[in-house]
Amino acid sequence: MKEHKKICEKIFSLAGRCQAEVLVSSSESALTRFADNVISQNVSNTATDISVRLLHGGRVTRFSLNQPSDKALKAAFAAAHDALAAQKPDRALEDLPKGAPVKESSKLFFPGTAALSPLYRAGKAGALIRKCKKAGAVAYGTLENGFRRTTLANNRGVFASHIESYAVYSVTVRDGDGFGWAERAALDARTIDFDGADRTALEKARLSKHPKGVPPGRYTVILEPAAATSLLSYLGVYGFGGQFYNEGQSFVTGKLGKKVVSEKLTLLDNALDGPAAGMPFDYEGRPRRKVALITKGRAEAVVHDRHSAAKAGAASTGHALPLPNTFGPVPLNLSLEKGDTTLAEMIKSTKKGILVTQFHYTNLLRPLTVEMTGMTRNGTFLVEDGRVTAGIKNLRFTESIVSALNRVAAVGSEPELYLEWGRFCAPALKLEDFNFSSATEF
Amino acid sequence: MFDFAKKAIEIAEKHKADFGDIRVIETRDQDLSVKNGEIGSLNDSLTLGFGVRILFDGAWGFASSDIMTEREVERVTLRALEIARASATLRAGKVRLAREAAYQDFWQTPFLKDPFRISVQQKLDLLFAVDKVLRKDKKIKSAVSGMNFIREHQWHMTTEGSKIEQVLLSSGTGYMATAVDKGEAQVRSYPSTHGGETLGMGYELIDMLDLAGNAERVREEAVALLTAAPCPGGERDLITYGNQLALQIHESVGHASELDRVLGYEESYAGSSFATTDKLGKFRYGSPIVNLVADATLPGGLATAGYDDDAVQAQRWHIVKDGILSGYMTNREFCGRIGKERSWGSCRADGYANIPITRICNLSLMPGTADYEEIVRDTKDGVIMENNKSWSIDQKRLNFQFGCEIGWLVRNGKRMRMVKNPTYQGITPAFWNSCDAIAGPEHWRLWGVANCGKGQPGQRAMMCHGNSPARFRKVKTGVKA
Repeated sequence: MKEHKKICEKIFSLAGRCQAEVLVSSSESALTRFADNVISQNVSNTATDISVRLLHGGRVTRFSLNQPSDKALKAAFAAAHDALAAQKPDRALEDLPKGAPVKESSKLFFPGTAALSPLYRAGKAGALIRKCKKAGAVAYGTLENGFRRTTLANNRGVFASHIESYAVYSVTVRDGDGFGWAERAALDARTIDFDGADRTALEKARLSKHPKGVPPGRYTVILEPAAATSLLSYLGVYGFGGQFYNEGQSFVTGKLGKKVVSEKLTLLDNALDGPAAGMPFDYEGRPRRKVALITKGRAEAVVHDRHSAAKAGAASTGHALPLPNTFGPVPLNLSLEKGDTTLAEMIKSTKKGILVTQFHYTNLLRPLTVEMTGMTRNGTFLVEDGRVTAGIKNLRFTESIVSALNRVAAVGSEPELYLEWGRFCAPALKLEDFNFSSATEF
Repeated sequence: MFDFAKKAIEIAEKHKADFGDIRVIETRDQDLSVKNGEIGSLNDSLTLGFGVRILFDGAWGFASSDIMTEREVERVTLRALEIARASATLRAGKVRLAREAAYQDFWQTPFLKDPFRISVQQKLDLLFAVDKVLRKDKKIKSAVSGMNFIREHQWHMTTEGSKIEQVLLSSGTGYMATAVDKGEAQVRSYPSTHGGETLGMGYELIDMLDLAGNAERVREEAVALLTAAPCPGGERDLITYGNQLALQIHESVGHASELDRVLGYEESYAGSSFATTDKLGKFRYGSPIVNLVADATLPGGLATAGYDDDAVQAQRWHIVKDGILSGYMTNREFCGRIGKERSWGSCRADGYANIPITRICNLSLMPGTADYEEIVRDTKDGVIMENNKSWSIDQKRLNFQFGCEIGWLVRNGKRMRMVKNPTYQGITPAFWNSCDAIAGPEHWRLWGVANCGKGQPGQRAMMCHGNSPARFRKVKTGVKA
């Protein structure tokens, strides 16, 4: 953190009469990738990036660099002053916030996780590869780890710094024409159940062999946590960002306080603690607030940065991305409150349905209904009379997620954490009449 | 910079690496945008760093850093060596690279106007002028216009003796108007979606595109879409072009022909491919008029360079010739698996911090002989779709579904009413085999894909897909939720 502080002070000393905001990000990252039962890529990276926002007289600009020599900074400031001079003043442009230093959060940093060695990662990959070879299967996947320190400071008194480590183990197993997948993400690698992930992927691959075709149509669907997260992420970003809300592009525009999805659903954004905790301040240096987005199916609030808050007549919730930007604020620490139904119970209570492990290549078709499409992948199963009876060929869904979330039959009791557009912790979901619009050949 | 780089080569040689290279890269990236009358972004970025790749005992290691000292080059090279040793504990056979001559050369993207010498004021004035026109209708709730310029200066040195310096330049621009009214939101963009058009050239691209001259039409079409009828469902002929056809090429041919993916090395993330190596030279990918050519020498192409990041000289080759699968995107590691002694040269990395991987080159649908107006006149029941809005394809690149910004129905040879939310869905080989008309070279144009994601860690690459309008028979359109 001392290095970051030094960089900030150096930049403030060069800012002159400008308001200056400095974002410094230092990271070490490493990733071992395996395919076809061998290590295929194995990489590591060390980087520090510095990004400076300058404001003066209703004008704004940003420059970024990773070599903060005196010469480089002098050139960057000169270009920035030209960029400021090129603008007409914007009277509505907010000053940088004033603020007291924000306390550093250290509970999310685990030095051992940040420092996992190439041999450690090879060892975990090797364990799965041996199991796969024994089963006549093939292993693919990644184990990545690292840390990132982020500091956000300005010359009006804001100074906030955060460090966190991470590890993600993601495995795909192919057994003949069957595929299985599992992923475990954690800030402390010691909490990752590597063997459990291996077992899940191997078992799914075995069970999904010789998949049979089922016709597209409407089915009861059981979405495992990863599949549920793929859909809910879009709901978070396109539904609960203050700017989308202000522009009338969110499905909750004009509907705060009203029921928008099933009363079984409660969605929270909380960076401060809980399962999706992370950086406790935003990219303006404002403290992140815990925001209840949906409570028992009712839309409660959207998240704001100071800009979207001013337009909405609200207060910032501490959800700014680096400014200026065209996207507006987004919730990045989402969790869906768990229910009381296990995955096994969801299957047992299903007369006829489809169990989805993972979605692939999901994309938005229409923002106002969060209509999406995507494919199933790595373990799609037919459920009949309360049990999994066969692996099936993959299907494409085309569905309004808002509409689908009004047809929730059950919410799972075993949430899992995924690092997708920030982080998202969600349990499995059972939905009625989910629309699969076409099929593929495998 | 080569003096700085040679330390890595010396260490690789001292430790008897099978192969080693270092890429030192300086990147300048300027991004400007205006949203609803305000600065949306204005960022000028300059980064410098290096990445070292070591092949040791038949296994790869890669490490990178942005600390530009000799001591750090030594640390990073030894780190890459340590990682290669760990990789060697889990290998089947030894990685062997296809042979390539050593080059000492300089190459630069040709351009007329250096975008970094054009003032910020000139750029912002144009974007604000466009923004003003776009927001003249109150139903336009969001107007975003932008420009992006990237200059990447590379110094690439290998243990085989190559010393290649390249300066790659790209320029991009575009805008988007979103109309919202009565529970409906519709978008129109110019000249294309996903950030607009990006090509390997200078500021002359911005001059060529007449941004201001198209803003009124874009605004009016966005508003008109609010009350347009939805694209009807059913089977009908599809006529498409521009960045939609570019993305169709990208997703269903480009990614499907990446040899690393075909061989299973992308299974854990992006998936594999139906276009397996046993099909090479015999599989009917498309109708006989379909010719898809990869070309790293194409003027204006975003993947155009003198050399790829395997230090292989730029080439041009068929992926699909007369409808038959005829080639792949290759690197030096995998090309031997299809009996090729030399890579076609399509291995690239995103900046200094990433290991080079097999990427899509510029890949274009060659022009046909048809007249565009004649294609429309010859269509009884069809739909014209323009500008991609959403895209999705399965992990073997078979089942795809695309959504576009705007469509026009075609009845008995005439372009009829506008339709909103047009979508179509298909299976790759059946779709390309249904192609029965491709317009001539007078309609052929390059379209850039500036943000193609692949790999773990994720890497961005840029490439172009030239095309002229084409017709596909009996396509499933108007997919409903």
